[in-house]
Amino acid sequence: MDLLTTSVATVESESEPYTLVELVGEADVTNSDALREVLDAEVAKQPSTLIIDLSGLRFMDSSALHVVLRANRAMDRQGGVLALASPREPVAKMLRLTAADQLVPVYQSVAEASAG
Amino acid sequence: MAYPPVQFPVPPRPSAPLPVPMPVPTSDVMPHTYRSDLAQVRALVLEEARQAGLAEDRASELVLAVSEVAANTLRHTRSSGTLTLWHDADEVVCEIHDEGVITDPRPGQHRPPADASGGHGLWIVYQVCDKVELTSDATGTTVRMHMALRRGGATA
Repeated sequence: MDLLTTSVATVESESEPYTLVELVGEADVTNSDALREVLDAEVAKQPSTLIIDLSGLRFMDSSALHVVLRANRAMDRQGGVLALASPREPVAKMLRLTAADQLVPVYQSVAEASAG
Repeated sequence: MAYPPVQFPVPPRPSAPLPVPMPVPTSDVMPHTYRSDLAQVRALVLEEARQAGLAEDRASELVLAVSEVAANTLRHTRSSGTLTLWHDADEVVCEIHDEGVITDPRPGQHRPPADASGGHGLWIVYQVCDKVELTSDATGTTVRMHMALRRGGATA
């Protein structure tokens, strides 16, 4: 069983469709290259909104965070928005410690992220 | 959406690396060797923290700190590292040793920009751990991380 699994869906909503990436497991330096490939592929499709659902993520380290912030910059350059949703407390704390929550909006749910 | 600027005060921390090796307090503590199995490193830390009775939120912080140091072994060296864990009535201690060399004279003392590609690991360690002992010379680096069992409690 992989330490980190990712699933991607395009969600049709009342407003604009958005890309939803779900991360399940633990994201660290050992799988950050794979995570980057997934995010690069989705960003390349130029969605207006990309939401990363962190509810299934038990752990994130600074390497994985760097990959997320890289995708955030790419989305920003494209005029899109990247948002994080439902981080568990250890991940939320990590986002605060690194001030990443000042660069990427963090919501308590995917619903809030898609409405924001 | 506007994000107000936030100040991140850096509390003063001892900045000079200790010049002498740090003795392990008990003789029956066995080091675990790791390379890429960081999940196993984290599981070992979590188990030690739980056995010691460390509060869950503090345990997850210790797991993050130790994982970042172990990840630095992967990021910056080509060899394996060792993880040694122990606890007593006052604290949980996790020590990582690898062959990497830290050249920054004040490691972990400044927070890198949030989107910097590196340098967050040691910053996180100093932010969450109650006490950090770090030595680094040409033979390698040792980082000993302490987490007090009692919130606000002092460690030895």
